[in-house]
Amino acid sequence: MDSKLLKPVLAVYVAAFILFLYGPFIVLGILSFQQGPEGGPQFPIIEWSTYWYRHLFGLTPPSRIAPLPVGEALLRSLTLAFMTMVTATVLGVMAAQAFRRRFKGAGIVFYLIVLGMMVPGVLTGLGTSLLANNVVGVERHWWTTAFVAHVVYTFPFAFLVMLAILNRFDGSVEEAAWSLGVSPARTFRKVTFPLIFPGVLSAMLFAFTLSFDEFPRTLFASGRDQTLPLAIYGTFSVEIHPNIFAFGVMTTLFSFSLLAIYGILMGLSVRRAKKIAMQEDIS
Amino acid sequence: MSTTAPSTERNGYTSWLLAPGVFWMILFLVAPIMMIVYVSFWTQTTFAINSTLTLDSWKNFFSSEAYVGALWTTLRLWLIVLALTFIIGYPAALFVGLLVKSKTVSTVLLVLCVIPFWTSFLIRVLAWRPMLGKEGAINIILQELGLIDSPIEVLLFSELSVIIGMTQIYVVFMVGPIAFMLGRIDRNIIEAARDLGAGFGRIFWKIIFPLSLPGVVVGAIFVSVMVLGEFATSGALSGRKVNLLGNIIVTQVGSLKWAMASVVGVILTILLGIVVAGFLRIVDLKSEL
Repeated sequence: MDSKLLKPVLAVYVAAFILFLYGPFIVLGILSFQQGPEGGPQFPIIEWSTYWYRHLFGLTPPSRIAPLPVGEALLRSLTLAFMTMVTATVLGVMAAQAFRRRFKGAGIVFYLIVLGMMVPGVLTGLGTSLLANNVVGVERHWWTTAFVAHVVYTFPFAFLVMLAILNRFDGSVEEAAWSLGVSPARTFRKVTFPLIFPGVLSAMLFAFTLSFDEFPRTLFASGRDQTLPLAIYGTFSVEIHPNIFAFGVMTTLFSFSLLAIYGILMGLSVRRAKKIAMQEDIS
Repeated sequence: MSTTAPSTERNGYTSWLLAPGVFWMILFLVAPIMMIVYVSFWTQTTFAINSTLTLDSWKNFFSSEAYVGALWTTLRLWLIVLALTFIIGYPAALFVGLLVKSKTVSTVLLVLCVIPFWTSFLIRVLAWRPMLGKEGAINIILQELGLIDSPIEVLLFSELSVIIGMTQIYVVFMVGPIAFMLGRIDRNIIEAARDLGAGFGRIFWKIIFPLSLPGVVVGAIFVSVMVLGEFATSGALSGRKVNLLGNIIVTQVGSLKWAMASVVGVILTILLGIVVAGFLRIVDLKSEL
């Protein structure tokens, strides 16, 4: 086959591929502007309206369609994601820092950590709830059992991100600090951490978004109170209305604003690093 | 002496750094999985469970048509989705990773593929409903084009809808690693082969494909692990008609049948172990990456 022909053909293919990835989302977005409350979750659009968005925030007169139970669930999910983010990032930075030096059993420890992201959520969820229910005898809550399961899932991501960053990191600056008699802890705070901060930011973004969206582990391990994904899942079994589409659009916007914040912070830290480097060059 | 003292101090430093993470994983990952194996041999009564060891749940699993059927459904769906993600994903990865000359365009395309990953998984599953339904977008478009007279009903709440949904959700995990490996191929090798008169087909099968194989394996492992552990997509898009091993676990836990849920959990774990080990035999990832 001629490669001159191949490239345009594949370009068209990739366009179709991206349409395949985004198609359902575009349809969902369009249908979220369906007329309410009579308009159903399908075409045609009877009349364009923002009814379902107002419905989501409780700004519409009461109708037969109950508002989504998202208020408290959102708060829980945000808290859980924040707790997970902090714990997973701290564990990830520590473990990756340890991996910069050779030590016995490094291979086993590496696989043990990576296992956390590879084992399907349905298994970790089941195991965690078995352990809590039948051995330890504690009640399952989103802030106890679900939290530890979330960290098991996100810690490997934080660890791998940090490992990639630290691999490219020049150790001689630290050695300089050590040889000047600065303690390892202080060296880490004053020298290493500022240099690896972009990596830490990425690890935090991973941990937060993965936990915020986590579903299978939470389903088993969270007990009575619902997190946001559980609340969404609850609506699956009943008849769906365009309010869940409007909600999908809102969560997507939320994810994108997280990405934007990450991008801004990243840009700022890179610029600061450049500034410092330039100052050093001048002096 | 001056050399040994800091070294032992640093060794202590290393273990202190590792201890919290390792303990966390042993307590909350290894112990729970051990627990699944252990509980699969417990005795199940109607509403309770006790630690008298028995093989009853295992016998129940293999004598029930529904449970063994779920095992076969899981295997079948896994193979279909794996094949589809590879067939659909590889050409896209080929374009993004190898054929696009500009680094910026390639990055932009890759980011475009990854962006849906940042949105809610459940919303992505749900988004297929207005697409595939009887009055869904696909049926409407096909009818407008005059390709069909009456809506295709098999599109939603069938095995087909689960396959379509899973393929769309997981194909990105195939594209990413393959594009990464393709991006690392030295273009001079391809140029040299072309100068020596090799056609594209020959270059592809002799150079490009073998060099991208580690990416294929990593992608296949990602897709396999996620599809085998699935239950949400099959539950939401099949109208409970398609039952995977994951769905059995969810319903068993829902009716407090912990022992049976554990049996299914162990079978799933063994299945995953075999699949991942099998893929790792194809290429030695450690030397390739």
